[in-house]
Amino acid sequence: MSSVYALAIVGSGPAGLAAAARAAELGLSHVLIEAEPHLSHTIHRYQKGKHVMAEPAALPLRASVPFAAGQREVILTAWDRSAAKLKIHIRHRAEVIAITGAQGRFTLKLSNGEAINAEHVVLAIGLQGNPRKLGCEGEDSGLVQYQLDDPAEYRNETIVIVGAGDAAIENALALSTQNRVTLVNRRDDFDRAREGNRDAVLKAIEQGRLRVVYNAGVASVAMTAAQRGVITLSTPQGAAPIDCQRIIARLGATPPRAFVESCGIVFPSKDPNAVPAVSDRYESNVPGLYVIGALAGFPLIKQAMNQGWEVVEFIVGRSPEPADAPLLASKFERLPGYRSVPATIAQIQSGIPVLAPLTPLQLREFLLDSALRTPRAGEVIFSRNDYSDSFFSILAGDVFIAPNPDDVSELIPLAAGQFFGEMSLISGRRRSATVLAGEGCVLIETPRRSMNKLIASVAAVKRVLDETFLTRAIQSKLAPGLSADELQEVVASASVQRFKAGEVLFKAGDVGDGLHLIRKGSVTVAQQIAGKEMVLAYVPAGQYVGEMALLTGAARSATVKAAIATETIKLEVAPFLGLLDKHPALRDQLGNTLKSRAAANASAPQSDSQQHGIVQFLMQQGLGEATDVLLIDEGLCVGCDHCEKACADTHGGISRLDRDAGASFAQLHVPTSCRHCEHPHCMKDCPPDAIRRAPNGEVFITDACIGCGNCEKNCPYGVIQMGTVSEKPPSLMSWLLFGGTEPGARAEKALVKAKQQSGKQAVKCDMCKDLSGGPACVRACPTGAAIRVSPEQFIQITQGAD
Amino acid sequence: MSQPTAHRKPSRESAHTGFMRHRGFRWAKFALLLCIACIAAYVWHEPLDGPSGGSWLGYTLGGIALALVVFLAWLGVRKRRYGSSLGTLKGWTSAHVYLGLALVLIATLHSGFQFGLNIHTLAYTLMVLVVVSGIYGIVVYAKLPQEIARLRTGSTRDAWIEELLDLNDEALKLAEPMGPDVHRKVVGSIEKVQIGGGLRRQLYGSKKQKRSLEQFSDALQQRLKALIDSAPPETFNPSATQQSTVMFMAGQLGSGDKSALDLQRLQQLLDVIGRRNALVTRINRDIALHARLQVWLLLHVPLTFALIAALIAHIVSVFFYW
Repeated sequence: MSSVYALAIVGSGPAGLAAAARAAELGLSHVLIEAEPHLSHTIHRYQKGKHVMAEPAALPLRASVPFAAGQREVILTAWDRSAAKLKIHIRHRAEVIAITGAQGRFTLKLSNGEAINAEHVVLAIGLQGNPRKLGCEGEDSGLVQYQLDDPAEYRNETIVIVGAGDAAIENALALSTQNRVTLVNRRDDFDRAREGNRDAVLKAIEQGRLRVVYNAGVASVAMTAAQRGVITLSTPQGAAPIDCQRIIARLGATPPRAFVESCGIVFPSKDPNAVPAVSDRYESNVPGLYVIGALAGFPLIKQAMNQGWEVVEFIVGRSPEPADAPLLASKFERLPGYRSVPATIAQIQSGIPVLAPLTPLQLREFLLDSALRTPRAGEVIFSRNDYSDSFFSILAGDVFIAPNPDDVSELIPLAAGQFFGEMSLISGRRRSATVLAGEGCVLIETPRRSMNKLIASVAAVKRVLDETFLTRAIQSKLAPGLSADELQEVVASASVQRFKAGEVLFKAGDVGDGLHLIRKGSVTVAQQIAGKEMVLAYVPAGQYVGEMALLTGAARSATVKAAIATETIKLEVAPFLGLLDKHPALRDQLGNTLKSRAAANASAPQSDSQQHGIVQFLMQQGLGEATDVLLIDEGLCVGCDHCEKACADTHGGISRLDRDAGASFAQLHVPTSCRHCEHPHCMKDCPPDAIRRAPNGEVFITDACIGCGNCEKNCPYGVIQMGTVSEKPPSLMSWLLFGGTEPGARAEKALVKAKQQSGKQAVKCDMCKDLSGGPACVRACPTGAAIRVSPEQFIQITQGAD
Repeated sequence: MSQPTAHRKPSRESAHTGFMRHRGFRWAKFALLLCIACIAAYVWHEPLDGPSGGSWLGYTLGGIALALVVFLAWLGVRKRRYGSSLGTLKGWTSAHVYLGLALVLIATLHSGFQFGLNIHTLAYTLMVLVVVSGIYGIVVYAKLPQEIARLRTGSTRDAWIEELLDLNDEALKLAEPMGPDVHRKVVGSIEKVQIGGGLRRQLYGSKKQKRSLEQFSDALQQRLKALIDSAPPETFNPSATQQSTVMFMAGQLGSGDKSALDLQRLQQLLDVIGRRNALVTRINRDIALHARLQVWLLLHVPLTFALIAALIAHIVSVFFYW
């Protein structure tokens, strides 16, 4: 093809569609390239009738296509209509496999061998990646589908499912109840799948509910009639044709990173969450190649559409004020001496060194997520043991850190340009000190997720935070009173070490070569007593182990294992001893601290082997990363289910715990309920950042939830459900007098009903943070069987402490 | 090595005490004091016409007893007010138990030991029945949960039922090649398996089912024996090996022999059926234990309502004749 488009847009999601719409509106020659036969594949494959939300509500929409919160169908229809009306030039079923060239003449190679030339390219391919196809003749015929929305839709069909991963197995099992299903596996095992799925599929095969063909590939697919066809498998025994009515291929998706990198775009780090750095005009390091939407780190529909509109404006040489400007202005207005948004942004970037390496776009995003605070002098910003995890940068004035709970007059000043709060951000634990505001203090408070995004994307931010974390940890735990400069040598020699759950940090008898400061995760300390390993202590993040090595150089006295995935900072002995030589007073002080710790350990109650078994069991249940967990003493539980009823009654009719499910050991039962993890898995991938941690540690979901279900999938403990909560609990008096629904009794019915409805949101335990008196499950237990504990109390629990 | 943990919420109780020992037997102590005070008053008080409900102390004791009954019955309301922060339910249960025990003494003193065939003694009798059923409740609450935990050994009833269904399938599959009569028997046996049922069956199990499960096993055993007996005697030497007779026979008869295969299948089937029957027993035992945990409430609660009705009649009649 010889013609050169001014603009080629890859991907027709909200970002790409908005860009194409603006280009069409401006009469720019353009082409929108989409691999699927429809627009916006990710939203297209949402379930039918799904309510799509329009967060953040405060951000105005600036696009040539309409968008408002509503049903999936309404939104998709509106987009199709706009695309037709604006005469957007769309190439469907075109998959770009390579982008070469430079600004003015890019060449986009398609999978069918064609090439498209364009002066500018906008990449808006999102993060989902393309589903892997069968890679044979007929892969796009009407017989083959690459997803399954509702297995109940199909009955009495002969269905072939290709794949051996979790998705393929789950589809096969669900369909096999009312269809004849054959599973095609390229290998001879299901080892790629989760254990539960693997066991289930092997059982189904053994019982004949499911047929399986091992060591088989797909050679071709041919339609013979409407919804009838033949799939030909290539097996070691030769070609094997199978008649079928439907083929479902679940072969995973190719993550887009490799493709993006092949276009010359650089990612700032190896972190899988990293996104390419782009300028404030959304331009990548390749001039003329722009990145917008989820791929650039903006997962929300409205943001992505605004960027689509703006990027075209930038390409045609205009510089519209970004859509977020009014939002930023309203944030900045309260600042003393406020002039304009760009001036304030420049002031922030030059005034706070840790933010200097951010691109202007990253900084804008950072500030949009952040809140500006102007506390009065003496105001408490957060208190020791608060469970908040936001990060503070000091824009003006100063703050005072009070690290010593016993002596509040001991204050460490921090001046403008510095930051604090990184300890809780990294460790996931409570605040280690109280922080007070000084005169004229202006702070930028940034939520955990935005900070984590930044740490993943900007290596310099990560380095500075890590070093500061380490310096401050040493200052607060080991060497109070020493300055960062004096500690530099020790800090430089320290290394971050990572341990998997169950991995040994060091064994009893090993040479004591250093101290481990636990940065993330937790460890257990065990000793061999009478030939049996016994757990003496559980040590959470923020604390340290192996400190005796620094003073005595003796062999390790205990074995320390990671309870969950754990990161420690290992301080080497030699540089630390050098430091002690320079500061003899510190040596005495440290000696005293460690001696008193050793004495406390010795007088701590010793556990017996049964208790060790319990602690080990609890760790196996993943409670090493818990901060507060519901346990049930089976010796007291009468199975009345009051805990579940209380939960349902106080939380819109949906119980967030399942008492009977879950494992037990030595009469201690771990029901299926939220543990409020230190680093909550559910928070990992929440597009509207709706999952938060309250000051007391409760991990909860705000109303901003868009019902995407990511948290439900990410939770390894299965404690999040999708449901619709009802506002009004049934009345106790009307039940007593007239019968009808008993309070707390509707849990299951409500859930079933909710499952059929759209507009579901994720629900999980919020530890009754809004109820006085604490968690309802515990308060409603008539016998005292239900208890909530933190891991630090496990040892105590196992001793049956009163 | 861990440092002392800071307390997160001041309101949190020390973890892990049952309702009987709630807050260092707070309610037991309170109930005991109440009893001592009532006995002292009763001993000290010498009304002209002997102790009765009609003296001023009688009315006072009656008033206290009435207040206790209302408070005790209110547990049924409080336990369904899940949002209430008026104490914990554990505390309420603890108070319910100890004050309920105290009630017997206080009501007895209130009666002045005047019993007869009248509405007053009916109310008293109902109260005693309610308390006795409650004491039974305390006993089962104290004993059965541990028994259930021991029975379950970390598994759940759902997992057992799942396993039971699998064993049934396995039995059917094994029975299929063994001829229609065995197959029919297995099907019949599966149909006869009963889990739970009405209250009586939950508590005591089905005698009929037990018999039929045993009969089925016996029939299979007999068949096995017949097969073994029909084998050539010179190849059968029971003392030759510690292996199961069946496996020994199977080896002796050679793989081509149909009866050896039959024996093997039959032995497998017996194993499966045996495992399944044990599982059925365990599930029904679990159900029975759970039923026993709840069944006393079927007396305790209706009797409470009857008591309240009788109490109202008692109070109305007393004031009517006053």
